[in-house]
Amino acid sequence: MPRCPVCSKTIDLKTLATPPFCSERCRVIDLGRWLDEGYSVPHIRSGDDEEESGPEEEADG
Amino acid sequence: MAEEPLAAGYTSTDLLHLSDREHVRERFGMYIGDNTARGLHHLVYEVVDNSIDECMAGHARQVSVTVNVDGSVTVEDDGRGIPVERHAQLSEEMDRDVSTLEGVMTVLKFGGKFQKGAYQTSGGLHGVGVTVVNFLSEWCEVEVSRDGHVWQQEYQRGEATGPVRKIGTTTRVGTKTTFKPDPQIFPSTKFTWDVLSRRLQELAFLNSGVKICFHDAASGQTEAFCYHRGIVEFVEWLNRSSDAIHPDVISIRGEQDGVTFDIALQYTGEFTENLHSYVNNITTTEGGTHVSGFRSALTRSLNAYGKKTGLYKDLVPTGEDIREGLTTVVSVRVPQPQFQGQTKTKLGNGEVEGIINSAVGDFLAKYLEENPKSAKAIAQKGVLAAEARAAAQKAKALLRERKGALSGGGLPGKLRDCTSRDVAKCELYLVEGDSAGGSAEGGRRREYQAILPLRGKIINAYKSREDKVLANEEVRSVISAIGAGIGDEADLGKRRYDKIVIMTDADVDGSHIRTLLLTFFYRQMYQLVASGHVYVAQPPLFRVRNKKHVYYVQTEDEMKTQLLDQGLGEGVFDPGDGRTISGEPMQKLCRTLAGLEDALVALERRGVSLRDHAGRRDEKTGKLPIYHVYYGPEERWFTTRDELESFV
Repeated sequence: MPRCPVCSKTIDLKTLATPPFCSERCRVIDLGRWLDEGYSVPHIRSGDDEEESGPEEEADG
Repeated sequence: MAEEPLAAGYTSTDLLHLSDREHVRERFGMYIGDNTARGLHHLVYEVVDNSIDECMAGHARQVSVTVNVDGSVTVEDDGRGIPVERHAQLSEEMDRDVSTLEGVMTVLKFGGKFQKGAYQTSGGLHGVGVTVVNFLSEWCEVEVSRDGHVWQQEYQRGEATGPVRKIGTTTRVGTKTTFKPDPQIFPSTKFTWDVLSRRLQELAFLNSGVKICFHDAASGQTEAFCYHRGIVEFVEWLNRSSDAIHPDVISIRGEQDGVTFDIALQYTGEFTENLHSYVNNITTTEGGTHVSGFRSALTRSLNAYGKKTGLYKDLVPTGEDIREGLTTVVSVRVPQPQFQGQTKTKLGNGEVEGIINSAVGDFLAKYLEENPKSAKAIAQKGVLAAEARAAAQKAKALLRERKGALSGGGLPGKLRDCTSRDVAKCELYLVEGDSAGGSAEGGRRREYQAILPLRGKIINAYKSREDKVLANEEVRSVISAIGAGIGDEADLGKRRYDKIVIMTDADVDGSHIRTLLLTFFYRQMYQLVASGHVYVAQPPLFRVRNKKHVYYVQTEDEMKTQLLDQGLGEGVFDPGDGRTISGEPMQKLCRTLAGLEDALVALERRGVSLRDHAGRRDEKTGKLPIYHVYYGPEERWFTTRDELESFV
């Protein structure tokens, strides 16, 4: 059974009013996390990274 | 011309002394609140309360309530039975022989509850209960079984129609009261099954071990309530259709300075608080000191726990946040309760607040310490509630912002939009970084293809780790560029493109950003994904130029095959034994060798040398073993799965 990404309640995607969340509330919590930059992926450093992550940029991060 | 003012005739004859009976019937509001359905059902509770008191004092085990076919109600218990003998004080006052039973039924402020220690915290209306019921009934009948005999007395509108009579013998004990509410007082005298059933069940929860049977003679419907675990079962019952977030119902009980408290609570995934509070079995809908004492202790304990464990680092939940999804039953017994508030359903006793507060605080501190799993789930629930509150504000602000921006004006500055307004043909490419945006710009068909460059923002997640997030502005850009909105205001018909194409770099970092974007779309623009508007571009890895012919190759495997075919050309293999291999067999040979090389690399990566491995060949079948097992210091190889399984 799939689960709501926020509260982990088991859900049925076919009958949900707010897929893939159990409720509008959990969807809004998720949106809040995106807006707060709360979701991240590991950053892999590579040679051509320099253009994106100069030392100046890291300083304000 | 005017009549004489009435005041002129103000004499002693204008003043009346109402008897108890007259007063109750004239001013029923003072005794039962009102004469609506609420007041009517209250009559039953008053009688039942007396029986419950007998149970709680240890003298009765069972109470049964029957709504009879004629609309009267019978309440019966197996308690000691109301005493029937002559009551000295009353007989002297009334100047005739009066039975105690008659006193209980017809004299206000007369009863066992005034005797200290008799019923310490009774729920009834302090000695007016059953008398008031009798006064407000068209007729009433009481049967008392005690000392081997059955005694009986009848009343009409509160007045005894005869003396207490002995009507038979019995081996049982108990009191059986039947009354028919007076239609002169109550506009409707019809009892509602659900209302009575709910209150009787509630009483059974609040008074653990007491068995309450409920029967409707007209419909034949019967119910029985008995809960040995009391309000713990009440909480379980209230939460019966919700998902609890911790398995146990937390139970806090004790006694201090004559105040007895019994509290049960459990958190569920619901978003509202469900609190039931009682003082001496009476519902306190307006709360009071027992509730406020409980609440402040709960907030204090969870805040202390959350701070200590670091769960409340970024967000500190309010008391309301902490109570979200909480089901609580608070039942206290207070010897001298003071009720306040609009409907007199708010406990006013100040001392109760401190007693509950410190008892609950001490208990919870210990509980949270000893039940880390439940404690964490509860604390996180509070964080989620606080987060929901904050997120709702952000979502509202976002919506306002988007509504405020007029069409077109709200598009992100970085968007290189297409010129066509034919949505069915338009595509939006989400590319990684400004430089990729630049090269995509050079290759796009301006009419139908739009480009939105996005940059992952690097944040320092931990000391040695860096994370990449989709910056707040980027999230907003994506939402406004697509135009279909999110959540409540989502409208697929308003989308500005038919295809949203994610085109991140073909490296690990690119695939991470793609994951972020796909997750965002799946969660916040579910319909867009579900109806097939989101695409992932797979740019080819290689560009091959063979003389003037230029083409693209998608994968590494395909590239290898291509190189082999290209390289072979007219090649000929001469093993030196007179044979020559070329053309089709040559290609076959090379593919076999290439396959062998791949296998060899895989083998060596596992530390197996080909020379050793060749020695393990099965002479009969010519097959090499493919299963490798370490059994203690021993190393074994098997060619087939059957061999392996028989060894294992």
